[in-house]
Amino acid sequence: MLYHRITGLSAGLTAALLAAGTAQAQDYPVDTVTLVTHSSPGGGSDVFLRELARYLGPALGANVVVENVTGGSGANAIADLAQSPADGSRLYATTPTFIYTSLLSELEYGYDDLEPLVNVFTDPEVIFTAADSPYQTLEDVIQHARDDRGTWGAANPASLERQSLEMLKTATGVDAAVVTHEGGGDLMINVLNGTLDIGVGEIQELAGQIEAGEVRILATLTAEPIEAYPDLPTVQSLGYDVAVRKFRGLAGPKGLPEDVIAAWERAIPEVLANPEYQAVYEANSLRPDFIPHDEYAAFIAEFGAETEQFLRETGVIQ
Amino acid sequence: MITRDMVGGAAASLIGALYLFYASQLRPSSLADSVGPQGLPLVYGWLTLALGLVLLAQAFIAVLRASPAERAKQADAWSGQGRRILWAAGLLAFAVGYLLIVETLGYLLSLAVLIPAVAIYLGARFGWRPLAVGVGGAVVLWLMFDKLLGVGMPEGVLRGLGL
Amino acid sequence: METLLATLPFLLDPSILIAAFVGVTWGILGGALPGISPSITMALLLPFTYTMDPAAAIVILASTYVGAEYGGSVPAILIRTPGTNAAAATVLDGYEMNLQGKAGLALGISLYSGFIGSMVGLVLLMLLSAPLSSVALAFTPPAYFALGILGLSVIATLSGDSLVKGLIAALLGLIIATIGTDPVTGSNRFTFGSADLLGGIEPVMIMVGLFAMSELLAQASKRGEVDKIRSRPRIEFPDWPLAKRLIPSQLIGSAIGSFEGVMPGAGGTIASFMSYNEARRWSKHPEEFGKGSPEGIAAPETANNAVAETAIIPVLSFGIPGSNSTAILLGGFLIHGLQPGPMLFEQAGDVIYGLYAGLFVAIIGMMIMGIAMLPLCVWMVNRPLPYLNAVILALILSGIYSIHGSLFDVGLMLAAGVLGFFMRMLRFPFLPTVLGLVLGFLVESNFRRSLVLSGDDYMIFVDDRISLALLVLSALFIFGSLARRVIAALRKENRLAFSEGSEG
Repeated sequence: MLYHRITGLSAGLTAALLAAGTAQAQDYPVDTVTLVTHSSPGGGSDVFLRELARYLGPALGANVVVENVTGGSGANAIADLAQSPADGSRLYATTPTFIYTSLLSELEYGYDDLEPLVNVFTDPEVIFTAADSPYQTLEDVIQHARDDRGTWGAANPASLERQSLEMLKTATGVDAAVVTHEGGGDLMINVLNGTLDIGVGEIQELAGQIEAGEVRILATLTAEPIEAYPDLPTVQSLGYDVAVRKFRGLAGPKGLPEDVIAAWERAIPEVLANPEYQAVYEANSLRPDFIPHDEYAAFIAEFGAETEQFLRETGVIQ
Repeated sequence: MITRDMVGGAAASLIGALYLFYASQLRPSSLADSVGPQGLPLVYGWLTLALGLVLLAQAFIAVLRASPAERAKQADAWSGQGRRILWAAGLLAFAVGYLLIVETLGYLLSLAVLIPAVAIYLGARFGWRPLAVGVGGAVVLWLMFDKLLGVGMPEGVLRGLGL
Repeated sequence: METLLATLPFLLDPSILIAAFVGVTWGILGGALPGISPSITMALLLPFTYTMDPAAAIVILASTYVGAEYGGSVPAILIRTPGTNAAAATVLDGYEMNLQGKAGLALGISLYSGFIGSMVGLVLLMLLSAPLSSVALAFTPPAYFALGILGLSVIATLSGDSLVKGLIAALLGLIIATIGTDPVTGSNRFTFGSADLLGGIEPVMIMVGLFAMSELLAQASKRGEVDKIRSRPRIEFPDWPLAKRLIPSQLIGSAIGSFEGVMPGAGGTIASFMSYNEARRWSKHPEEFGKGSPEGIAAPETANNAVAETAIIPVLSFGIPGSNSTAILLGGFLIHGLQPGPMLFEQAGDVIYGLYAGLFVAIIGMMIMGIAMLPLCVWMVNRPLPYLNAVILALILSGIYSIHGSLFDVGLMLAAGVLGFFMRMLRFPFLPTVLGLVLGFLVESNFRRSLVLSGDDYMIFVDDRISLALLVLSALFIFGSLARRVIAALRKENRLAFSEGSEG
């Protein structure tokens, strides 16, 4: 929890300083778009968003600023957005966290009080182990869990990573302890010191350790192979039907006007094709995954329903 | 005769019992470990309840064993406490009052009211001085938190001024 | 040696010098404001670092951290309000010295001890990063659990006259720590549907409430009964005999601080409490602790400043932040496209050596700014009591609000103030509550995590060597302290045990 209790910050000051570009409003209905994140400054979503904001301004024809609304694992940000005007001036950078938080807590406002706008990226989730561990393939890990008892780690208790491990456990039918942590750093220590057989994490967070040769990635939980690692097998290709999609998109208050939606559906593919920005996000192993509005709304609804089913089946919620 | 420890013991037992009640309502889940979300809270609850009772018992024994002189001294222990609680409650009321007005009146004005009011309540003489300290203190704190640190304090009625 | 030579040129780099000075000054200011934690102070600077060059950006963030750890002790001594969590232990003897009219000396000791702690931490950071970083890796969940227990074992000695009351106070802290998200299932506990409670209650709100708010309430309740203390409005450094006396406690503080700093998740608060306790155990004047002992300031202040440097070790070595503050430092690296971890030294050696040089400058700067700023602080606390208390109330109401911009948090702090007021009246000590609050989550999550790992085999706590050693140590502390109590009771010594929360 320590890692997640990173505290709030002055939105105004930050926002003013980070106003990306001074593009003139061309056709976007408002001059300034505020992108809200529940991540704290310097956190994963925050860095991602600030980079995006830098390139979005010109493409969208509006100033794009980032504001951190921290606290309550996203609950504060969801409530903030649900009560904001639906004119495209205030949008929320979503990750699966906002669905988990909505489902786990009986909140006044949940993910279904927001309208999904478009998706921008997916973060490939991969299974990794320490470089000096005996496991060379995912099968070695599963075999160890069959023979003895596996220890698998996820960064947070109620998260997509946790869910994917529980799903893998069911798919393989082995006995493994799924150990949760207080963030990615905590998990990494226990993988590196051999307490855990494997961990699950976003490839972007592992970049430093992979490059340094401290960890070995065994498989990816994406449905398709990752471009940067063409030889890395997907878990599905290894015969276990588990795949997850850690999305990074945008959502807004209910009833976003048509012209706002159209502007974003045009701007996001444009930004993703910008070669300068491409270099930035490819270096971070983010996968461009533009999903237009209608499709994205259906995707979020389905994601929410599946997560809810999982949490119900496991008895976490009733 | 009621001593401090009797009150303390009774309060602790009550807190322990209440907490135990809520802890026992936590629902189990198959993602949980064997200790579970309830595990340690139940331990804490029982311990608090038990230690509260121990303190209560200790307090009664102490009173029974005490010499008459000590008892007389103890009986005195509460004198003036009621007045003290009232004075403290008064200060708390100012703080709560601030919470109630800060969003409508705004940070700057609320502080300019709170500081002199509290100073006078705590014994400063009424006059220009508390008012000046109030305005000065409010402005300094506002500059520090809102402008320098950029915290974004409630603007209230001054919103229109763009402060 | 190589490290030193590589660092030297950066001491002349003006951008690094300026960044270090600005950072440390900003840090002292932020640390001194109750509610503004080191991590918030750093986060506020983060946006400015986007446009800086990487070395200066990292230096300004790290210097802010160093300054804030010192700054926290200023209000702890002057107005009984820890400006940062790690300064909570400094309140005990610092405020007591202030009451005795020795605020200047208390501030001097804190500054000078912070300087020593920082220097020791910096030397370790520069020379022993590699061996020390292995400490972080050696700590497994059972070892963290044992570490938490070791921290809690201090309660036995912090409880004052009545062990039962001390334990009840500690349980209160542990109970508050269970509010929020369950560490294993992720479900909510004791949140009663409130979004504000989902992330748990931050210790700072309870601490400011327990210490500062309850002090204001207590002073209001004794209107006119309190004598006004005047402190000499200048900072005073210890003379040689006193400085000599402080050496053991500073050594203890440096050692514990450096050790805890390296371990992710442990942090400054535990380090300062443990070193306070150890300094008391090994002191020639243990009876003075809690009554204005200079060693009682030196130990925790050395420790929390040593933490500020050594906490950087796991960030540089593994890219693993151990606390909120270092998480923001990590953010600073990421913003500039630097990936901390084993490769950092090869890829961006300049930034690292610049950081070392910047920290060195910042520590010197802390001394200079500390001396320059203190007379003003001492002058402020010498204003007439009604005004001073009115402004302190305004200050803590503002500080707590600024954490999340939430009035709910302010209400929570006021509630903790009321709790503290009654704890004083009923003569319960607060320190165990603070300790339970800080350690509760660490203990519970690692206890349960260990059992998940071992498949409910409690032997995991014995099989893990570090866990075993720490648990044995805790047991020795607890039995030692109990034995002393029993002996004292048998001798019917009316031992003037140190009781923190007692009201006059």
